[in-house]
Parts: sequence; C-alpha cells; structure tokens
Amino acid sequence: VAAPDLLDPKAAVHNSKPRLSFSAKPVVLNTPEDECDTRTTVMRWKTVSAIFFLVVLYLIIGATVFRALEQPHESSQKLAILAEKLEFLALHSCVNSTELEDLVKQVVSAVRAGVNPSGNLSNQTSLWDLSSSFFFAGTVITTIGFGNISPHTEGGRIFCILYALLGIPLFGFLLAGVGDQLGTIFGKAIAKVEKMIKWKVSQTKIRVISTLLFILFGCLIFVALPAVIFKHIEGWSTLESIYFVVITLTTIGFGDFVAGEKGHLTEGTMLVQGVGEFRAHAAEWTANVSAEFKETRRRLSVDIYDRFQRAASIKRKLSSELGINASMNQEMTPGKRTLSANLCEDKDAYPSLTNGSLYLNGLSPDYADRQEIAIIENLK
Amino acid sequence: MHSVGKSWLLLTGFVVFYVIYLLFGALVFSSIERPVEEQLRRDMERLKEEFLNQSCVNAASLELFLNKVLAANKYGVSVLRNSSGRSNWDLASSMFFANTLVTTVGYGHPTPLSDAGKAFSIVYALMGVPFTMLVLTACVQRVMHPLVLAPVSLLQRSGLKPRPATIVHFLLLVIVVVLCFFVAPAAIFSGVEVSWTFLDGIYFCFISLCTIGLGDFVPAARPGQPYRVLYQIAVMVYLFLGLMMMYLLLRTFHKMADMHGLTTLLQLPRCEDSVLDDDTEPMVDNDPTPPRLKDKAASKPLDPGSQPSYNSINKG
Repeated sequence: VAAPDLLDPKAAVHNSKPRLSFSAKPVVLNTPEDECDTRTTVMRWKTVSAIFFLVVLYLIIGATVFRALEQPHESSQKLAILAEKLEFLALHSCVNSTELEDLVKQVVSAVRAGVNPSGNLSNQTSLWDLSSSFFFAGTVITTIGFGNISPHTEGGRIFCILYALLGIPLFGFLLAGVGDQLGTIFGKAIAKVEKMIKWKVSQTKIRVISTLLFILFGCLIFVALPAVIFKHIEGWSTLESIYFVVITLTTIGFGDFVAGEKGHLTEGTMLVQGVGEFRAHAAEWTANVSAEFKETRRRLSVDIYDRFQRAASIKRKLSSELGINASMNQEMTPGKRTLSANLCEDKDAYPSLTNGSLYLNGLSPDYADRQEIAIIENLK
Repeated sequence: MHSVGKSWLLLTGFVVFYVIYLLFGALVFSSIERPVEEQLRRDMERLKEEFLNQSCVNAASLELFLNKVLAANKYGVSVLRNSSGRSNWDLASSMFFANTLVTTVGYGHPTPLSDAGKAFSIVYALMGVPFTMLVLTACVQRVMHPLVLAPVSLLQRSGLKPRPATIVHFLLLVIVVVLCFFVAPAAIFSGVEVSWTFLDGIYFCFISLCTIGLGDFVPAARPGQPYRVLYQIAVMVYLFLGLMMMYLLLRTFHKMADMHGLTTLLQLPRCEDSVLDDDTEPMVDNDPTPPRLKDKAASKPLDPGSQPSYNSINKG
C-alpha cells in the first residue's frame, strides 16, 4: 500500500531543496496518483490532451485579438506607402513604375542583408565588426535570435548551424550551473524568511508567499530596471522598452527593437548575458515551487499514512479487547474491520479517510458475513 | 566545504569557457561575412548612382522615398505591385504569429505595429510561454515511454548490456530525428518555397527548431503562395512536433549522461523527473519483466556505482 520513501522522514527533507531540471523549463503539474497502472496512464493522457486543447484554444484567441488590433493599422500603412509611391512617380515623370519596383526590390534585399542604402554608404560601421559579431554569437547561443544581423553566405550559415549545435548545450550547462548555485542561496534566504515569520501559518503557505515575493522582486530587477535604462539610452517609449525587455528575456527576440543598433553594443551584450541570469532565476523559482508542491503532497501522504497506521493499531487493540480473532494470525477482513469500527465509537481515528475498504457505511453486524463474502469478491 | 569550493570553481570555468566560445564565434563570423557585406555595399552604391544618373530624380527625394519604403517594409508592408491583396494579419497568419510568440521562436516578420498590439504581445507572451513549455514537457513525458524506455528494454533483452544499449538507442534516435525533422522538411521547403535551396531549408529547420528564429527565412511569406492557410497550419504543426522531439532528445541525453556518471562528474544537476512522473521509471530494466507490469512504487532511478546524490554534495 505504501511506497518505500513515505516511511522515510528524511526523504521529505531531501526533496525540500529546489532542484533544477536540465532543460530549465518549468513543470508544475499535479496529477492525482492512482493504484492501477492503466488508469494512471489514461488519466495522464486525458490531462495532456486537455492541456493541448487549451493551448490550441489559447492560440486561436491570440490570433483573433492580434488580427483585430493589427489589421486596421496595417491597412492604413499600406495606403500611406502606396500614396507615397504614386506621388513620387507623379513628381518624377522620367521614372517609370517597373524601374522603381526594381530599385525597391534591390534596396529591400540589401537592407535584409544588413546594408542600409540610405545616407552615405562609405562611413557606415560594418555589421560584422568584432563587437557586432560577438553580439550575434550571443544571440544565437541564447536562442534569442534577433535577426537584424544574420549570415548570408553559405559558409556563414553552415558555421552558424554547427556553432549553435555546440553552443546552445554549453549555454544550457551554464544556466544549470548558475541556477543551482542561486538555488542554494535562495533556499537559505527563504529558510531565513520562514524563521522570521512566527505566525501559525502552514509551512506551505509561507514557502509559496516567499517564493512569490522573490519572483516579484526579480521582476523588478530584471524587467523594470532594464526597461528604464533602455528607455533612457535608446530613446524608446516606456511601452517599447518594456516590450523589448520582455521579448528578449523570454528569448523570443523579434528584432524589431534591438539594443545596440545605434552603437551601444556593450549594453546590448550585457543584456544578452542578463538573459542567462533571468532564465536561471525563472527556472529556479519554478523548480522551487514544484519542489514545494511535491513536498506538500508527500507531507499529506505521510500524514494520511500515519493516521492510517494509527487507526490500524487502534483497531487491533480494540479487536483484541472485543475478543474477535485475537489469537488468529490471519488479517482482518474488511467486513470484520468494519464490524469493529462500527462497534466502537472511536470515529476520531478516521478523520478524513473515505477510503472504501475501511469505512463501509451502512454495514450492520447482521449482514456482516454475507457482505463480507461479497466484499472479498469485489476486491478480487 | 571543499566540494562547494569545487563547484564554484567549475562554474567560473564554465563562464570563462563560454566567453571564449563567444569570442571564437565572433571572429569566425566576422571573417566570413564581412567581405560579402562590403561587396553588397559597393553594389548598392553603384545602383543608386545609375538610377540617379538616368532619371530626373534628385538624391534628396530618393532618400526620403527609400526611407519611407524601408520603414514600411520593416513591418511587413510591401510597396511592390503584386503584394497588395494579401494581409499579414489575417486569421491564419495571426495564429502563426501567436505560435511563434509562445514557442519563443520569434521570427520577427511581421511584428506588431500598434501600441495596443505590443502591450497585448507582452501579456500574451508572459502567460503563453510557460504554458507552452508545460505542454511540451508533458507531451515529452508521455512520449518518453514508447520512444525511449520500451526500445531500450527491447535492446537489452536482445542481449546488449545496459550502457551500450542506451548509446545505441540514442544514436538511432538522433538519426531518425535528423531524417524526419531536418532532411525531409528541408526537401519539402526547398520545393514549395521558390527561392530556397536545400541548404536554406536545413538552415531554416535548424534555426526554427532551436527556437533561435532569426527571421531571415520565413515560410509562407511569398506574395502569390498557393494554399497559404494550409501551408501555415502545416508549418505550425511541424514546429510543435519538432520542438517536442528536440526536448525528447535533450532529456534522453541527460538521462544517459546521468547513467554514465557524466553529470555528477561535472557537478551538474541530475535529470530529475518532474511532479508529473512521480514514480520514476529507470531508463534500463533491472529485471526482465516489462516496465508496465512492474510495481511502479518499487522502481527508483538507476544509480550505477551507488553515486552520492547531488543533495548530499551540496549539504557538505
């Protein structure tokens, strides 16, 4: 009935330390434990497919909202640029439409290659000088991938693939290592906070509250502060700064806003390193919370198991008192257990247990023997 | 205490090695790409001069016009003739965008133009990214059994020892994933997308599945693409499945490294199974019964050589 580690009180303590899974992705899901294997598998599949449908629903909702927000804006931009084009063509009658389109096509592809044709081309800084390449390498390894710079030669692309194949796991190791070190620090800090709180609140609540506090604190440091800094340096609006920081730290990295495009590459590189910190922190906190859930479940299981043991020992005492099969070695059948349970008024031994085998409601002593057989059949 | 000092030393070692790796990458990228960039720049200058010479346009108004065109193009609005009908924000494209947002691939083409769109993106991403990670991890947990544990036990029963069995299985898995999720889709992409070569296809698959998402190649971006909606949905499904397989590979590798003692050697955390998978299944069988029929509660993660758990190392 009981798993081996439930009996070991040390196991609960061991698992209180937050552990980081290698992929550093949060996993906090509680599925109910079951006795029967196939039922567990079926239930888990149900849970997974339920979550999957939720994700699809989430995507559809997002799609409709984005469409509603962006399409009008896009149409007005289209009209504006078409008007510009017609105006240009009207103003300069020696240019025909096809020539202009050709030029525009070439300009657009040049821009995508990183060369900005407007302005004086000769004194533009290269996009592939050492510091920019360093920044690019950083965005590849952290999987942000802004895309404002991207390799255009075949050799560059092949090297990019090989570089990322080695670099992303390397960064992952780094994150895991950093996260683990942070974990010990945070664990100690949380323990200190717990000691300070003297109220009669459950351990679980304290842990969750302190973890939430640290998350809030971390958000301030990693989101609000950089947003203010970037707003100041790059001259973006508040919304744009927060947008940039969130998009970068979640490693989405659209590239419509890139810090360091105008030459502040040190800040940009620092931000890229900051991603590592952020992800380590985020993973650490989620590992913390999931470890907390795990421990709560264990504690509850231990609790229930303890009460079960106590109930069993009380029943044994009572059965010897009542003189029911005291000397016999066989186990008490459920029917007889219920018999003794119903006979004694000690309802405190079974506080929250509604387990069917222990507490067969409505079973009167007269029918004990017949029902007993039925129960045994049922259990088989 | 000695082990704590050792772990800090290892960490600094990792950081230093990471910085060196970045520098190395920077040098190589710089030397490969810079000459090509110079050439392109010269070409553009020549193009501009030619255009200005043969027409009545002066430089200033051309600059102005080009700037406007580029600004519009940055957000996906093209001034070219044959792209006027298609929108970047119809339902299928918006869903594709939402998908790139929550999987953190983030191509960046298109991006939200309006302030409201940007604000919504922030909120949407903050909720959607952990959610998607959760789904992917849950799926990987379920898929782990038929794709990893069952074949490994099969290999074991056919005579291989535990450790070589895991290595053989991992290599086979890598080959299958590369064939199904890189080579085959790359061939399909280079066929469907007119301007992509096969190498471009593989490059795109790799950059997308690692969630880097540079955005230099985006599928279904061509103006006259037939079956665009179907194509976009197919790419979304491919991204999701591909990401799942990458996580599976990562997890399998981590479990394998655990088994071979690599993670404890480097003092990295072991591959802990999540709360989902409370009764952890070992990667290899110790007894010949199939894993499903075994008493789940009795099975614990395999610990060859009785290595100390990471918990105890830290407590010291």
